Amino acid sequence: MSTHHGELLLITINHETVSLEERERYSLDDEQIKVLYEALHRSPVIEESLILNTCNRFELYSKTSDPKSGEAIAFETLGSFYNIKREEVESHARIRFGQEAIKHLIEVSAGLRSQITGEAEIFGQVKEAYATCQQLGYSGRLINRMVQKGFQAAKLIRHSTPIGEGQINISNVAVDLSLKIFGSLKNTSALVIGTGEIGGKTAKALKSRGASKFGVASHHSERANEIADEWGGNPHTLAELETYLNDYDIIISSTETDSPLLDARSLEKHMDARKNRPLFLIDLGLPRNMDASCQEIENVYLYNLDDLAKIAEDNLSERRAAIKHSEEIAAQKSASIWQTLESRGLVNFQ
Amino acid sequence: MSLLGLEDRQWIFLATVVFVVTAALGTYTALKLHRKARRPYTLVLVSFGWILQTIGLYARGLEYGGCPLSNQFELVQFMVWSAIALYIFVGPAFRVSFLGMFTSTFASVFSILSLTIQSWDSPSRTPIFGDSPWIETHAALALFSYGVFGILALTSVMYLLQSRSLKQKNMGGLFPYMPSIFELTQINFRLLTIGFLILSASLAIGAVYWSHEIDSVDLPKLGTTIVVWFAYGVLLLLRFRQTLSYKQYSWACISVFAAALLSLEAVDQPKAKESLLPDSAPPARSP
Repeated sequence: MSTHHGELLLITINHETVSLEERERYSLDDEQIKVLYEALHRSPVIEESLILNTCNRFELYSKTSDPKSGEAIAFETLGSFYNIKREEVESHARIRFGQEAIKHLIEVSAGLRSQITGEAEIFGQVKEAYATCQQLGYSGRLINRMVQKGFQAAKLIRHSTPIGEGQINISNVAVDLSLKIFGSLKNTSALVIGTGEIGGKTAKALKSRGASKFGVASHHSERANEIADEWGGNPHTLAELETYLNDYDIIISSTETDSPLLDARSLEKHMDARKNRPLFLIDLGLPRNMDASCQEIENVYLYNLDDLAKIAEDNLSERRAAIKHSEEIAAQKSASIWQTLESRGLVNFQ
Repeated sequence: MSLLGLEDRQWIFLATVVFVVTAALGTYTALKLHRKARRPYTLVLVSFGWILQTIGLYARGLEYGGCPLSNQFELVQFMVWSAIALYIFVGPAFRVSFLGMFTSTFASVFSILSLTIQSWDSPSRTPIFGDSPWIETHAALALFSYGVFGILALTSVMYLLQSRSLKQKNMGGLFPYMPSIFELTQINFRLLTIGFLILSASLAIGAVYWSHEIDSVDLPKLGTTIVVWFAYGVLLLLRFRQTLSYKQYSWACISVFAAALLSLEAVDQPKAKESLLPDSAPPARSP
């Protein structure tokens, strides 16, 4: 990168450059961000800046009036702010200039640089960081143009490639499958068998997508009552499963059991009463809680831990396959944004 | 008849090309690009094809001053036209994603068939349903109900595909772009009800006409029409009472529609034509 592009500088410290322990040191709260902005802008060389601070990355985008000293001043300020030697900060960071910095912003906003490829949360975090920067008055024409155009490019990537498609964690895969069966979860009821973490997470994910009626079943009624109070829902004991089975459309099971809780024979008895209502069985237990024969019954859809993990893995592979194309779009768009910045006289002063 | 410089069959041929392009684009976008063609694009393309088809059918209708329902080619075209109209005007209320792609595939298949089989466009230039506006309404409504049943067959295919993908844990192909099985069962019920009501209305009008001119209707036509109506009526009852599983119900919807299509042959049967055709009928047309 030629040095005359140094008026747009990016310093990034993220999961690709340092370990979690190191990244923790760079984590900031809202008040600290404000203080860091003030520290950076004490130098007249830093004209505009944007700080992005998430659990996985610290990034500083700056417009400097003197490319040569701007980088040194930024590192000096960060070192003294974090109380770390400047050389150490430099060793944790990667630096990008000009068009490469814009490309990086686009890739970060689109989720290409996230630890979980394609995750969507980062876009909101960048937006929030930009809103704070604007509110505090540290953005100018260059940062504004770069971020706004960068957002458009990130949206284009997310809409024109499968980078954010398909769920990649087991709970969300289960929720997606529920939606493919029931359409909306508003009128569906879910039963959580067992009180393990993964079952709880899945129930929470279903709740967040609209499921409102829940039941909790456990071997012991005290435990069922306790968890039902905590998560919300009706408590049940597992021994009476057959009496309340038909009240539910989704059954998430992750309990310890010597023999399957349900099999084709026990389910068949209930299917007439269900009147064609589908039953989605999510077996997260090891050993398995549901006999594989359940799958043979019409309108019953059985997915175990391996099935869900495989779908998540396939979705992740699809996302990874989309990275190359997404990077090409980011390169193309960053070149075009840089050209616009040049034509407007916002960069390339010699 | 020529309209705006093109023959009626040429307009219909152009419409078919548009339907084929829409179906091909939808499939390519989903399977190769892993994206769902957005509804506005599909709607614009399908509507464009439908307008071309309407011009073609209008040109045909001008020739004998009535609904173009004089032979099997026209019956099939009118049914396709009805199915597309249903997708364009009522489709948004159904909220069934990917229905446009399936409808354009349906339109492509039947349009190509009707254009390819020359004997379907037999030299009848007199409407086989006579010249009474009531009997024309009866015929148009009956074919519109066939369009509805065509869409019902498509949503039934969609249900079977989705259900199979869920059972076999195959999340690829068209699975991510199609609606949930529950939504499909709901829409199937609504389509069956709408189709049955329209067909019943059509038969009621036809029955009034028939009671006045009892010799005008051939027994095979009457028989097949009643069988189709009865079959859909039974299906509706079974669906209402939840007697059939959704899988059986979907297969039944597809089978009854296939049988209903075959019944068009009876509607266009020779005796009816012979009694209505003038002596100097023009020869069959080619595209």
